[in-house]
This record gives sequence, structure tokens and C-alpha cells, in this order.
Amino acid sequence: MRRYHLVRRADSQLKRTLIYYAIGILVSLTIGAVLLISLGINPFQYYGRMFTIGLVGNKYGYKSIEGLLKVFVPLLITSLALSLSFKMRFWNIGGEGEFLIGAICASIVAFNSSGMPNFVTVVLMCLAAMISSGIIGVAIAALKVRFNTNETLMTLMLNYIMLYVIRYIGDTKADWNFFLREDSERPIFGSFPESAVMGGIPLGKFKLLWAVLIAILLTAVIYIYLKYTKQGYEISVVGDSSATAKYAGMNVGKIVLRTMFISSALIGLAAALAVSSAGTISDTITNDVGWTGIIVAWLSKLSVPAVFVTAILISVLQYGCQAAATQYPAIDVNFADLLQGIILFSVLVADFAANFRIVRKEDAKHA
Amino acid sequence: MKKLFSLVVTAALAVTSLFAFAGCSSASQGGSGASEFKVGAIYINSQNDTSGYTYAHHHGITEAMKTVGLDPSKDLYIVDNVPEDDEKVKQAIDQLAGNGCDIIFGISFGYINAMEEKAKEYPDIIFSHATGYLSNDKNFNNYFGRIYQARYLAGIAAGYKSLATGNNNIGYVSAWGTEYAETCSGINGFALGAMSVNPDAKISVYEIFTWGDQELERQAAETLIDTYGCGVIAQHCDSAQPQIVANEKGVYGCGYNSDMTAEAPEAHLTAPIWNWDAYYATAMKAAMTDPSTFMTAVGNYYEGLNAGLVDVSALSKNCEPETKEAIDLAKNLMKSGEWDVFSGVKLSFSGAAGSVAVAKTDSALIANDGKEIVVAGGPSVDDGVIQGSMNYYVEGVTQVN
Repeated sequence: MRRYHLVRRADSQLKRTLIYYAIGILVSLTIGAVLLISLGINPFQYYGRMFTIGLVGNKYGYKSIEGLLKVFVPLLITSLALSLSFKMRFWNIGGEGEFLIGAICASIVAFNSSGMPNFVTVVLMCLAAMISSGIIGVAIAALKVRFNTNETLMTLMLNYIMLYVIRYIGDTKADWNFFLREDSERPIFGSFPESAVMGGIPLGKFKLLWAVLIAILLTAVIYIYLKYTKQGYEISVVGDSSATAKYAGMNVGKIVLRTMFISSALIGLAAALAVSSAGTISDTITNDVGWTGIIVAWLSKLSVPAVFVTAILISVLQYGCQAAATQYPAIDVNFADLLQGIILFSVLVADFAANFRIVRKEDAKHA
Repeated sequence: MKKLFSLVVTAALAVTSLFAFAGCSSASQGGSGASEFKVGAIYINSQNDTSGYTYAHHHGITEAMKTVGLDPSKDLYIVDNVPEDDEKVKQAIDQLAGNGCDIIFGISFGYINAMEEKAKEYPDIIFSHATGYLSNDKNFNNYFGRIYQARYLAGIAAGYKSLATGNNNIGYVSAWGTEYAETCSGINGFALGAMSVNPDAKISVYEIFTWGDQELERQAAETLIDTYGCGVIAQHCDSAQPQIVANEKGVYGCGYNSDMTAEAPEAHLTAPIWNWDAYYATAMKAAMTDPSTFMTAVGNYYEGLNAGLVDVSALSKNCEPETKEAIDLAKNLMKSGEWDVFSGVKLSFSGAAGSVAVAKTDSALIANDGKEIVVAGGPSVDDGVIQGSMNYYVEGVTQVN
């Protein structure tokens, strides 16, 4: 006796989608404004600071941009990597775990690199991270291909395993543990030697890290890979229907393995760039990109250029929320997170509403 | 699809620039006090906490700001919920520096690498790090306090209670055990205090392996009471759960960080507490007067009862009548510097309420594995050991898990 049901809109009108998005953002900002006003804060001023990531009146504005980019690069690469596997309908929600494996392996290279040339070290870090993450990705894909295991569960559990591995490393003072700062009685992660810290191009005071250029280049490469190569085409065919792919003579298992390797290896690369830019590792190094990346990928409908833009917007939102919270003693980070959640949620609802509509069933039909 | 997104992006950018404009205009309106002194703070938990470690520091900073004539609603910039992740701490410092903070307090140990590095990058800003061990000679110090002195006093209250109830078993829910000098010296201080009153007291430590987890704190207290028969529950962890459990089970307890009598009205005796404003006011005053002499005026700060940095909360009605006099006697000895907890001299208390007397006897400080730490009559253990490397329990303490 369901009176209402959902129907996918046959036509996806641009104008409608746009209006829904605008309404969604407006509604979320209004809810936020009500909360802000109840805390005695001028919402326009607050949002102003939020969307300008606290640059206004900031003595060291260029550092905010650097900080924003450090949030952006790992998110962008991880989102792209996740899009690859999602396109194939392989539900890789193990971004966090794959990121951490990469970060740990890159750090093993980094902590043992003193005296090595910077370029060599960073390249080795990237390779170590990509290979280690890639192997884990392939292992999970292989289980799926061979035994039809549920990749959602496998990748999800991987996240927790790796989280506890890195916490174990961070909490265990021992002779073998070169991750930790030696002169500290308490266990605490050390800093990388100079040789492992990412360099960049100085533009005045601002330093444009190589990681940013690599990320932009990578976006272009992945775009071309998906759009113009045979392998990219294979991914979308497998995603649409693996049966079709099989009849077309494609080796579905091989495609799944290959794509998962690329996807995980890219996440590993994101991790290597992140630890090298940070000059250290920690159990919060992922900055939740494995989760946020899923939102970015889906909001972008798995389109590479859209991922790029969405990743920028979400980074601005994340960084801006914190920057604005800093400037108001009454606002804590929980509020910033709450606001961020409301905005993302509204956009997702708007996206849903733009694609589906609720239809009331005619009672007569049931009769 | 691409078109769609470019449109969305355009819309988003339009909204952004609109707000950016609003932000510009309002910021320029309110940008009057450029020469004001600004305080920055990095917290491990939420600034809106109502108890616990971050609360104690936040309360201290805001109180101190009022003392030195600053307005916490205007001159205080906070980044809270910052994990012990160098990159996130560095970003927080950049934010605070960008907002023009003149002094930045970091309250958690794991901020140490980032603070050390950023102190070099921003030579004009004073960096002050709680519980750390690094510093430089210009703009980076560390601060902490002799909380073991306050724990000794709480131990006295627990000791009297154990005498009165005839139950020598005292429990201690601890975040960490001998791994951290901070927890280890706290346990030892408390145990020595309890044994100064009741030499037969046995202190059972239950370690929960994290600084704060309400569920684990609760379970630990339950185990100590149900399995080990403890009649007083002391704690070194963030929440009031151990005290609440003590209250439920009809035993007694000593909280930590804040007076937990409200949470456990029938159980709580007294709690070792921090008055962080004592340090924060000192530091702010020095930085406001002349930042260049901060390291000579304040330097690395390690004070105790004498500076009012640590104390015990007001004794509740659950305390035995002799408690107050005994605590005052011990407090005065420590305040004057005449005696300290980890020395080769032990205090003992005698007499009924109204005529409590303290006696000092030379007696070696012995670890629970029988090793002699300080010879009878010997001087106190070094501050460096108490702060950094104490990794043994004194006689009378056992870890049960």
C-alpha cells in the first residue's frame, strides 16, 4: 500500500539541477546562519571568512594557500583513484587503508634516507608507496575475481587493520622502531630527514610544492587514459555490464586486477606525496581522504574534470571551516564540522532531488 | 555533464565572491586594534568541554587573560580538536600566526615537533608547550607542574578513609602506567601520600592504555572495586566515570583535574587539580612586557604548590575529620621547600582531629621490585627524572593488569 514511489527523471535538465543545487546550498547556509546568530555571530562575516579560507586580514596569507593545497592534493588524487574503480563498479572503500599502507612504506624509505639526494628519495618513496598499496589492491581484487568475495567488506576492513598498524607503530617504543623520535621518553613520530621532504618552486614567499604539479599532471593523464585509451574504454564496458565485456572477448578478471592496481597505486602515490609534503607521518595523515574521496567521486559523477573542481571546492570548504572557526572564540571545530556536514548533505539531497522525483500512485490503480 | 558542472562551479564561485566581499567589508570595519596583544591556543579536545584536560587549560587561559587585562572574546584565537599530527599542528600554528597572535600555547605533548620547527620560522612569536621537554633560548619554552605534590595530598585523604573503613585496598585507574613519567610519578605520589597515613595501604593500578575513554575508565573502576575489593578509587584519566562508579558502588574516590564532588556526591573526597592560570598569567605578562626577555623572565616552567599551580579541591563532607589538618601540614612543608615527596624522608601523621601532628623520619625510597631509589635521608629525585624518565612504582604499588 505504498502511496508514493521514486521515479528517475527521464530528462536531466541542466537548469533544474542547477536550481536544486543552489537551493540546497542556500538552505544549508541558512540553517548555519540560524545557528551562528544564536551564538551571537554575524553569519555574513563568518561565511565571508569561511569561503575566503581566512585570508582576509591574515598576516601570512600565502601559508593558508600552501595549507589548502596540502589538503587538496591528496584528496584530488584519491578521488580520481576511487573514480577509476567505481567506474568499473568495484566498490573500493578502502581508500583510508590503501593510503596508510602507502604512507607507512614511503616513511620507511624516508626515515632511512639521510644523505640521499632529495629527488631520488622522493621518487623512491613514491615507488614504495605505489607498489605496496597496489599489491594490496590487487590482492583484494584477486579474491574478488577468484572467489567472488565481497570487495566492499574486504576494503572496509582493510581500513581498520591499517589504522591499528599505524597506531601500533606510533605507540611502541622499541629499538626497531625508527619511526619514532629518539630523544623522546614518550613515543611520538619523528620528522623526516631533509632528504625526504618535498621541495617546490618558490614564488616569492609562497612555495609551490612539486606535489601540486604532479597532481595536476596526473589529472590530465587519467582523463586521457579514461577517454582515449583502450584500457579506459574497457573499464567503462566492465562497469556497464561485465557480461557484455565477456561477450566482447574482454578478459574481465584481468581488467579488474589491472584497474584495482592502478587505483590503489594512485592512492599510495597520494600518500607518498602527503607524507613527503608534511615531512612526517601520523595516524591522522589520511585527513579522511579515503572517505571524503568517495563523496567527491560521486558528486562528480565520476567525471575527471568534475572531480578536479569538486576536490577544490571541498578542500576550500574543509580548510575554510577551520580557518573561520579559529577567528571566533565561541566556535569550535565541532561546529565547523557540523556546518560542513550540513552543506555536503544538502548538496547530496539536491543532487538526488534533481535526478529523481516522488510520484503519488493513483489510488484507483490499486482498486 | 561537463557543462553542468562548469555552471555549478560558476554559481559556487559567484556565491563565494559575494561572501568574500561581505567578509572584506566587515573585516575592514572591525580592524581597529592592530597593536593589541593576541593569544593563540591549540587544544587537543574541544574548547567547549566542561571538564577534563582541555577544559582546565582553556579555563586557565581565559582566567589569566582577564587577570592581565585582555578580553578572551576578542584577543583569543583557538584551534581545537587538533590531533597529535605534525602537519595539522603546523597548519594550526600558521592560522594563529596569520591572525597576529603574539604568544601560542600548545597543550598536548605530541605538538612538540611542530612547535619546535615553527618557533624557528616565526621568531617574533612566543611558543609555549605544555608537558614537553624542548625549548630554545629565544621564543620557545615548556611548562608543566608538580602535580605529584597535589596527588600526595589526595593520597592523605584516601589514607585516612582506608583507615576509617578498615579496607587497605586502594584502586587507581590510570591512563598509562610506567611508560609515562607523568602517570608514573602521579601514581607514586598518591601512593606515598596514602601510606604516610596508613602504612598498610596497598595501591592497585589498573591501566587503560589511553588518556581518555569513558567506557574503559568505567570498566577499570568496576574491576578494581569488584575483583580487587578497593574501597577508594583514585584516577589519572579524563572523565569522572571512576568517581561515578565509586558512588554507585558505595565506596570512595579521588578525582582529577576538577572537583568531581558534583558527579559523585557520596563518594568523592578531594581531587588533585591544576590552576593553570597561575602559569598562563605569568607567561602572558612576560610576553606583553618584553617578548625578547621571555626566556630569561619565564624560561622553562616547572612549579607546584608554591606557585599555586597545583592544589587539591575543597575537601568534601566525605573526608575523615583529620584530613584537613594533615593536608595543610604536608602542604606547608612542600610550599616552603622544606620537604618533597620523592626524597629519603617520609612523613607520618598522628593524633585525632584538632591535634594532628606530622613527623619526619629518614627512610629510603624503595621501588616495588626492592631496588633502592633514594637512600634514607637522601635528597629528592631529580626533576628531570620526575618529568621525563621515572619508570618504576614505589613499594606498595602493584599493577593489576
